[in-house]
Amino acid sequence: MGTLRRVRMIPMRSRAFAWAAILPAVAMVTAIGRGTGADATTIGFFFLVVVLGLAAWGGWAVGAAASVAAMLCFNFFFLPPFGTLAIAEPAHWVALLAFLAASTLASRLVATARSQAVEAQRRRREVEILYDLCFGLFTVSQRPGVLGDAAARTLQAIGAEAGTLLIDGVGPPVSVIGDERLEIDSALLERALESREVVATTPAGLRTAYIPLQVGGTLNGVLVARGPLASRSVLEPAGRLLALAVERERLLAESAWLEGVKESEALKTSLLRAVSHDLRTPLTAMGLEIESLDRQLADRPEALASVRGLSLERERLARRIDNLLALARLEAGVARPRPEPVPPGSLFRAARESLSSILDGRPVAARVEPRCPDLWTDPSLTLEILVNLLENAARATPPKEPIELDAARDPESPERVFLEVRDRGPGLPPSVRLWRGGEFTESASGGLGLRIARSFAETNGGALVLLDRPGGGTIARVILPAAPEEVT
Amino acid sequence: MSRPNPLILVVDDDPSIRQSLVRELALAGYDAVAAADGVEGKAVFEERRPDLVITDLAMPRADGHAVIAAVRRVDQTPVIVLSVRGEEEDKVRALDLGADDYVSKPFSLRELLARVRTQIRRSGAGAAPETFRFPDLEIDRGRRTVVQHGRDVRLTPTEFAILELLAAQAGRPVTLRQIIATVWKGAPATTTDTVRVHVGSLRRKIEPDPANPRYIGTEPWVGYRFLAEPL
Repeated sequence: MGTLRRVRMIPMRSRAFAWAAILPAVAMVTAIGRGTGADATTIGFFFLVVVLGLAAWGGWAVGAAASVAAMLCFNFFFLPPFGTLAIAEPAHWVALLAFLAASTLASRLVATARSQAVEAQRRRREVEILYDLCFGLFTVSQRPGVLGDAAARTLQAIGAEAGTLLIDGVGPPVSVIGDERLEIDSALLERALESREVVATTPAGLRTAYIPLQVGGTLNGVLVARGPLASRSVLEPAGRLLALAVERERLLAESAWLEGVKESEALKTSLLRAVSHDLRTPLTAMGLEIESLDRQLADRPEALASVRGLSLERERLARRIDNLLALARLEAGVARPRPEPVPPGSLFRAARESLSSILDGRPVAARVEPRCPDLWTDPSLTLEILVNLLENAARATPPKEPIELDAARDPESPERVFLEVRDRGPGLPPSVRLWRGGEFTESASGGLGLRIARSFAETNGGALVLLDRPGGGTIARVILPAAPEEVT
Repeated sequence: MSRPNPLILVVDDDPSIRQSLVRELALAGYDAVAAADGVEGKAVFEERRPDLVITDLAMPRADGHAVIAAVRRVDQTPVIVLSVRGEEEDKVRALDLGADDYVSKPFSLRELLARVRTQIRRSGAGAAPETFRFPDLEIDRGRRTVVQHGRDVRLTPTEFAILELLAAQAGRPVTLRQIIATVWKGAPATTTDTVRVHVGSLRRKIEPDPANPRYIGTEPWVGYRFLAEPL
């Protein structure tokens, strides 16, 4: 790949031959005409053909000279009075003009065809250069980190002997090819950046071009090239191709980063799963043994009381583990809600079942307002909210004190549902009062449960509010979106 | 196979769970055998052909999903999965593979035994009856009528098909995918939201208190379970 040849209408050597061929060709036609005794009209055509041929070969000047020579011979040898150069009849002037016109026309046509062929050839070379470049940039290497390589290919393709790639955002300037460092003219660079067009100069006979790299309206660098460079019509698309390569490099780097993020999330998820399984399996075994003991000691009330105590502690431990895992999921960013319509009644039932030992014997009244819509929420996360609130209420109140669960449509906004856990305990602890003011500071394990409940409520597009209950106690109100009324 | 007591295979890699389950199942009147992982579980299943399989999901070598697939290649022996709270995808995958039910660790023995009883009863029952009878609910499959507490309930064909599917599987969780496969014949445009819309309207028609369902329970992230016991 190198510079393109200059466009030349007709090669010099060819033209010289054509000039040299005029006299022999005209002499030959004259000889044939005299030898065969053909009539003037036939000979005239013959001369015309020769003039056309010479014009096509040597261009207009050769054609004109040939037509003068042909006219002279035609006149001298074939038109009466023979042997003189007098043009006696106007018809012979017509013959001369016809020769001239024919040669002019032919040479013009040939010249046009020739220049089109040369132009086509030049375009083909340009396309070849760009195609090779395209192939080199986008199919040969798919590895990231080959920007220098890509720029070197581009520089070679456009015929540069030295070059430098200036990139924004991907890395430091890369000196790509050539032994000496290229002097960067900051004024020219500025002009290229501003105009977003190739800026070329020829100081000391060396052509230097500043090729802006832009794709989709964004400028992502400049390629500085020096040497016998290809024409502007190659430099511009080459710049675009390299810009695409730079852009691809950026996208590859980005996707590698995303891949890393995804992998670390997958790792966190699988770690949490393993921990979850490993912690819950012994709890299950413990539970099974406790149930077995419970059955075996049915006739020994004092032993049975110990077993019940064990059962309660096991359930508490299970709750702590649930909470810690829930918190870990939240902090690892892998607790993503999957909302579905959930009837509040089934949540209340599940929450009570989850805390069977902790709520042992305590009256828990669940009430769902008659026209209360379903919730639009993630059922597992919402159950976690309720279980935490219910457990907090159980902890805050004496063992036999009733707890109420209540579900109702938000009276002020029908798209929301209130789920409430109401107790008759001592009311809001001071730390929680602070939290209501936006400065929640954690206190012991109750704080952990509240924090999880609040986070999960927010994750589900809702909120948690703690209120003093009229007449003493606390209302923990979870505000969640209502499921849309289905069209049937 | 004629046995005096149903034979139950327990597959779990945790020795204490394995031992307690075998012991408790024996006390509850079943014969029980145990296997320590999926590979052993498949071998014992081939050899003994138990009446029911209880399998953990996360195990070394072959996991619970492999056990379910191996059982389903042979026959319809009921499979109950021991899953872990919060790992709903595993549960759904197990149910879609053909597991019949699940309990989540930490589960209680009472819970597990109730599921075992339901499954043993279901597998012993013959073809589904012409009419499903539940407390205050009668579903006549031939005449395609539903009577709830003495009043006729008018259902759309889709609602009836969903109710029929859930009632036929009473006590067993049915995944959203299974509902789409049966009721919509797996029509590609059917989404889980479509199913939920129809179940919502079905609930409003048959449930005395739709906010507190008595018949159609929601299985979080999984699908639905018909709650009432057949009469």
